[in-house]
Amino acid sequence: MNLSVSPTDAVAMAPFIAAVLVAAAVILVDFVWPGRKTAALFTTFAGLAIVAALIVLADQGARNSQNGVTTVFDGSYRVDSLTTFLDLLFVSIAGLTAAFAPDYLGERRLPVAEFNATLLFAMTGAMLLAGSADLIVLFLGLELMVLPGYLLAGFHKNDGFSTEGAIKYFLLGSFSSAIFLFGLAFVFGLTGTTRIDGVASHLTAIVAGRAPFSPALGMGLAFLTTGVAFKIAAVPFHYWTPDAYQGSPTPVTGYLSVGPKVGAFALIIRLFAGALLPMAVQWNIVIIVLAATTMTLGNLVALTQDNVKRMLAYSSIAHTGYMLVGFAAFAAGQAQGLEGLLYYGAAYSFMNLGAFAVIASIQRRTGITSNLSTFAGLVRREPALAWLMTLFLLSLTGIPPTAGFFGKFYVILAAVQAGSTNPWLTGLAVLAMLNAAAAAFYYLRVVVYMFMRDPTEEVAATGHGRLVWAGLTVSTVMTITLGLFPGVLLGLVSTAAAAVHIN
Amino acid sequence: MTGSGLVTLVTFLPLVGAIAVAFTSGAKANQARYVALGFALVTWVVSLAMLTQFVSSPGSTQFIDQAPWIPAFGIQYKVGADGLSMVLVVLTTTLSWISILASFSPIQNRVKEYMISFLVLEVGMTGVFVAQDLFLFYIFWEIVLVPMYLIIGIWGGKNRIYATIKFVLYTLVGSLLMLVAILATAFLYQSGHNGSWANAFDLASLVAWAQQGHYSGTFGVLAFGAFALAFAIKVPMFPFHTWLPDAHVEAPTAGSVILAGVLLKLGGYGFIRFAIPLFPEAAHTWAPLIIVLSLIGIIYGAIVALVQPDLKKLVAYSSVSHMGFVTLGIFTFQQQALQGAILQMVNHGLITGALFLLVGVIYERTHDRTIAKMGGLGAAVPVYSAALGFFVFASVGLPGLSGFVGEFLTLLGTFAAMPIAAVVATFVMILAAGYLLWMFQRLAFGELSEFLKGLGGHLTDMKPIEAMTLVPLGALVLVFGLYPGLILNVISGSVETTIRYAQQAAPIALGLWR
Repeated sequence: MNLSVSPTDAVAMAPFIAAVLVAAAVILVDFVWPGRKTAALFTTFAGLAIVAALIVLADQGARNSQNGVTTVFDGSYRVDSLTTFLDLLFVSIAGLTAAFAPDYLGERRLPVAEFNATLLFAMTGAMLLAGSADLIVLFLGLELMVLPGYLLAGFHKNDGFSTEGAIKYFLLGSFSSAIFLFGLAFVFGLTGTTRIDGVASHLTAIVAGRAPFSPALGMGLAFLTTGVAFKIAAVPFHYWTPDAYQGSPTPVTGYLSVGPKVGAFALIIRLFAGALLPMAVQWNIVIIVLAATTMTLGNLVALTQDNVKRMLAYSSIAHTGYMLVGFAAFAAGQAQGLEGLLYYGAAYSFMNLGAFAVIASIQRRTGITSNLSTFAGLVRREPALAWLMTLFLLSLTGIPPTAGFFGKFYVILAAVQAGSTNPWLTGLAVLAMLNAAAAAFYYLRVVVYMFMRDPTEEVAATGHGRLVWAGLTVSTVMTITLGLFPGVLLGLVSTAAAAVHIN
Repeated sequence: MTGSGLVTLVTFLPLVGAIAVAFTSGAKANQARYVALGFALVTWVVSLAMLTQFVSSPGSTQFIDQAPWIPAFGIQYKVGADGLSMVLVVLTTTLSWISILASFSPIQNRVKEYMISFLVLEVGMTGVFVAQDLFLFYIFWEIVLVPMYLIIGIWGGKNRIYATIKFVLYTLVGSLLMLVAILATAFLYQSGHNGSWANAFDLASLVAWAQQGHYSGTFGVLAFGAFALAFAIKVPMFPFHTWLPDAHVEAPTAGSVILAGVLLKLGGYGFIRFAIPLFPEAAHTWAPLIIVLSLIGIIYGAIVALVQPDLKKLVAYSSVSHMGFVTLGIFTFQQQALQGAILQMVNHGLITGALFLLVGVIYERTHDRTIAKMGGLGAAVPVYSAALGFFVFASVGLPGLSGFVGEFLTLLGTFAAMPIAAVVATFVMILAAGYLLWMFQRLAFGELSEFLKGLGGHLTDMKPIEAMTLVPLGALVLVFGLYPGLILNVISGSVETTIRYAQQAAPIALGLWR
């Protein structure tokens, strides 16, 4: 095993190492100037900018090398266009969350520096996950991503709901990690390698009949699918989501609904599209069923929610379903399915974070619930927030010209294309569209409250920090740009999707 | 971008207006009102200028503006207008300024947002009529939804939230399934062209390809079904009409005018522009069902209108009946019937728009729309009653007024193709005379009712601003009634083209009706 580090390797690893250092620096800065929000925030954003710059640099390095891929540590970590795309998305998610949180946390006397450090560690895990070329690294990245997530969910220590949500999240999260690891063990035992390309070539041999198929491999596949389904909160493995999401502090909910979700999709892409693709015929039927049940049940239950946070929790389950449609199309042989999934992931991140930022801003002062009644007559109290929320909700519904629309367009296009060979995918496309129509009901219900109902009680408007407005501006610009000019992302998305096959 | 930019100007001028309105002072409602009216009027003038430049000839889409948009999928920004688009664009711009003017006095609450919604709505409606790219068309189609949702939901009547959500959900179910069909259509084109996405959403290329029979068979039947569902919900065709009475009754007056005047036409336009040229064979397969549903709609709408106690609901159900003639005329695939259908779309826009304005006028004074409470308006408010009488007769189809020409041509064409359907539809015109004239009689004749007496001085005759909204509509109804050639000349090219597309496919099932 060759573990020496060349300059190319150093460039490839730089973003990851820098992210760890930034997280540590935020803690250190808090030691030096305890409780100074400005210092912690400055370190966070400056650090994120550096990480982003290094990601671009690493990407340059990868483009210059053979195949457009740099692998380090004997091929256990790789930088390709997919890594770059996902890493940049994770940095954006972390940056936006860090921008939205301080107002909310400050009012509740929760420490901003610790929050940011935890968030950055989670981001680091997601980045490791995105670039993993080895099952062990994959698992390490996964755990590093979700462990800080449990902490964040319970960040409001004195709040019973926050603690309850965190415990549920932790228990089911660990449970699913164990199942997942069990599945990995099966795969390792039967293929004799933990390298993703090694597993893939072994499975190719099995499918071609050159190596014997063992029923235990089927078991392993089942465990892996179950573990992953838990992580992305696919129905029927979604039960932890609503409680964890509703209990968490609102900025954390925003993060949890986006960061670990996109991270888990990175896991799916690396594992299923990378290692297990030769057996796509075997597992794709499961993905199709998961996609169908996930979007349908998520939407149906979201219809009846009176709490906006909980409603968005169920709706995020539905969005998982739409993304799975793209993945199913990919597994059925349409490269555009993966492109659509990546595009959807980006679009969903910005619009969903935006929606949660609005909720967090409304809830800035303690004691304000996230019930629908809070939103009654919001347009009179805070017109800017009401209009922005409308934009994000329309985007989540999938009304053009917003990011959410083009995401759906891309995913459905891939499903329709795949439908020409696999009729199930056409059915899935139609089902997704019917679901989108049903989803309009609950998203627009919030608009009804904001614009068409009078407030039940007079609540004074609260001010919002500049960071919140900056973050909302970014979310808004991205939501509109990704809808009107998808071209800005299409090139990135297609090279990223193509990178998954390059060895 | 290549092109004269004229169509782009007409489409997006209201958007500039909406942005301008956003910068007016929220406290001074009149600023928002006049800025909105100004932009709507300028848009109208530009659209009229475009009309004078228009030359009708078969298959020619003019004033094309084109620019690449999302090259990865061959999606372009491509707008243009043929005769059909032209007529409907002018209808839209006309009704838009009239509606904005008609909102000056009824809308006193959040005027700025109202005017912005209206101008954005105009962008969406015009955009649907001029889009020459399926993706672009879909975007405009969906954009229409949002402002209308707000207009009904914020400024509507008591039950507005129920009505507006129903409106949105009905429309969305149709349009999202249509999106799947659009994608499948484009994908088949792409896979038929060596996997190249170039022009895969371009309407002209798709139609040319469809003429070679590439969208026939089961695919065509299914895809046509998805398109037709979206359009049938918009028209609305029986049994997808149930959103319409609610939306009409709850919408503010100007909202009803636009809903009846333009939004319903989006459906008829979609059939003529997209569904038939793209899937001519499937259109013939589906035609018998659509014709039966149209006939049911014509009869059902008329019967239900007959028993409505509410004035606005009566006009709403009369829309269901009148729009039945449009789909009937389109799906006989016969030249005169199609001309009649298009005329009927324009006339229905003008006449029903005016009727809704008139209902709004009386509602503003009485805050009631119950027909039974009215009576004797003829003596009390003569000008109003005369205007009401004029448009009621136009709606009944009195020769000399525009309503007659559209229905007559439709029936004439239908009779040539399938006499039974024409006989049934003609019979229903007696019912139409029944419910409309009975309504007019109950409102205008006899003694002034107790309810109206109780209003005393509040029951005033038409104000100048109200007259200003009705006079142009009345003039157009008269002009088109006496000289329908004005419209027929403009649309002749589009009609010929559509008929040619439709007749490429052998008429199969229609023999049944002879």
